[in-house]
Amino acid sequence: MAKNRMNDDDLTGPFRLILVGLTVLALMAVFVLWRIDGPRAERFRVEITEKFVPAWDWASGPVRWVSQVAVDFQSYARLYEQNQQLREELRQMKAWKEAALQLEQKNARLLDLNNVRLDPKLTHLTGVVLADSGSPFRQSVLINAGRRDGIRDGWAAMDGIGLVGRIAGVGDKTARVLLLTDNNSRVPVVMQPSGQRAILSGNNSAMPALEFVEDPSAISAGDLVVSSGDGGVFPAGLVVGKVVLSENKHLRVRLEADMGRLEFLRILRSHQLDPITNVGGIITSPPVQGPPAPSAADLSAARQSAVGAAP
Amino acid sequence: MIDPITLTRWRGRLMFFAVAMALIFMRLLPLGGEAGQLPGPDWLVCIIFALMMRRPEFLPLWLLVVVLLLEDIFLMRPLGLWAALVILAAEVVRTRTILMRELSFLMEWAVIAALMLGMMLAYRLAYALALMPQVSFGYALVEVIWSIIAYPGVVMISRYVLALKKPALGEVDDYGRRF
Repeated sequence: MAKNRMNDDDLTGPFRLILVGLTVLALMAVFVLWRIDGPRAERFRVEITEKFVPAWDWASGPVRWVSQVAVDFQSYARLYEQNQQLREELRQMKAWKEAALQLEQKNARLLDLNNVRLDPKLTHLTGVVLADSGSPFRQSVLINAGRRDGIRDGWAAMDGIGLVGRIAGVGDKTARVLLLTDNNSRVPVVMQPSGQRAILSGNNSAMPALEFVEDPSAISAGDLVVSSGDGGVFPAGLVVGKVVLSENKHLRVRLEADMGRLEFLRILRSHQLDPITNVGGIITSPPVQGPPAPSAADLSAARQSAVGAAP
Repeated sequence: MIDPITLTRWRGRLMFFAVAMALIFMRLLPLGGEAGQLPGPDWLVCIIFALMMRRPEFLPLWLLVVVLLLEDIFLMRPLGLWAALVILAAEVVRTRTILMRELSFLMEWAVIAALMLGMMLAYRLAYALALMPQVSFGYALVEVIWSIIAYPGVVMISRYVLALKKPALGEVDDYGRRF
């Protein structure tokens, strides 16, 4: 029986200190291992998450329902305004729809005239958002589709309108979508009228920054930003958002997707396009045309000059 | 027959575990937190410190390890780093329980605030050493400040709802044992 509440099952003194020290060291070792062998650690994380999070559905369902009701109730309060606003938008949209139909027909005719080979149409599957990242410093969501639905790492995720992020981490039944706003997100994009290329780099704010822009003066606020397909990560031409100039003259992007209310995500199946790396073997056997092969002396001289030029 | 002290102790541990899991669950709910929103307090850390000041026997080392590692896993943090820091700070409090009992609440609050700030700085230092991208300093500071503001609230709840208060010097519990 315990004699003193403080000391009975806690070891006291040096033993306890050593135990605590060892625990902290072990945890730091886990951190170092995570840093060194990220993929394996992340796979472990995916497995644990997958065991627990879908099982929470019975609890999270009602809570979400209540919060939805609260939001809906707020919107009932201004039903009339909303109705007017929607009518107004509908009128504008009708005009746009007409224009879009005409353009589509024109486009189809032109493509037909030019015999353009189009990409096979992108197919998609839709997942429901199960969970947030849970921390204000990480921007990702968990969806209820995974390896068994054929999802692979790197595929693009969109909501109805714009790009949302990409798959980073696939479990059997769930997959994690790294949002464009996350600190770790980098996506190659192209600005629409100017054709400038840049990297869309998430910085944990609602509007990710544009980095490595060749000629910032060629870009103006309001330009359309679409994915460029560079690096083979995403299909080209997915709508990302519009360019915004922040008050300190940084280029940022206002995302087209409604990041505050992600509920259904559309995962685009990227078809594997094998990159062409060599010339066709049948027509030309190893290339014989071209400049003569450099001699060994030339090569070493070139290497030295390259080393000298390096900063 | 179960010893009543063991029973209270295990009830306390179970309650801590349940509350911690509920907190993680609430944070994971997809209620549309948008990027760029200011972070709120880290309730779990507040609870750990408040309990550690009052009933350290509810927080054995192994339970802290389990809860904090689970939190690291679910909240997509680097595994083990935050857990190590919280456990270090919590054990600093635990080894000074006797001393902490003498402190007025204001002093206790100051100690906790200093610990929370130190944890945040150490966390960012580790990020920098591991060459990982991290959020801006001011943004991380907001969370710490919220946690510091939230701490008295957590203490109030533990004091007036759960009736856990710091034992006075020489006080005995209901079973006549020294605290």
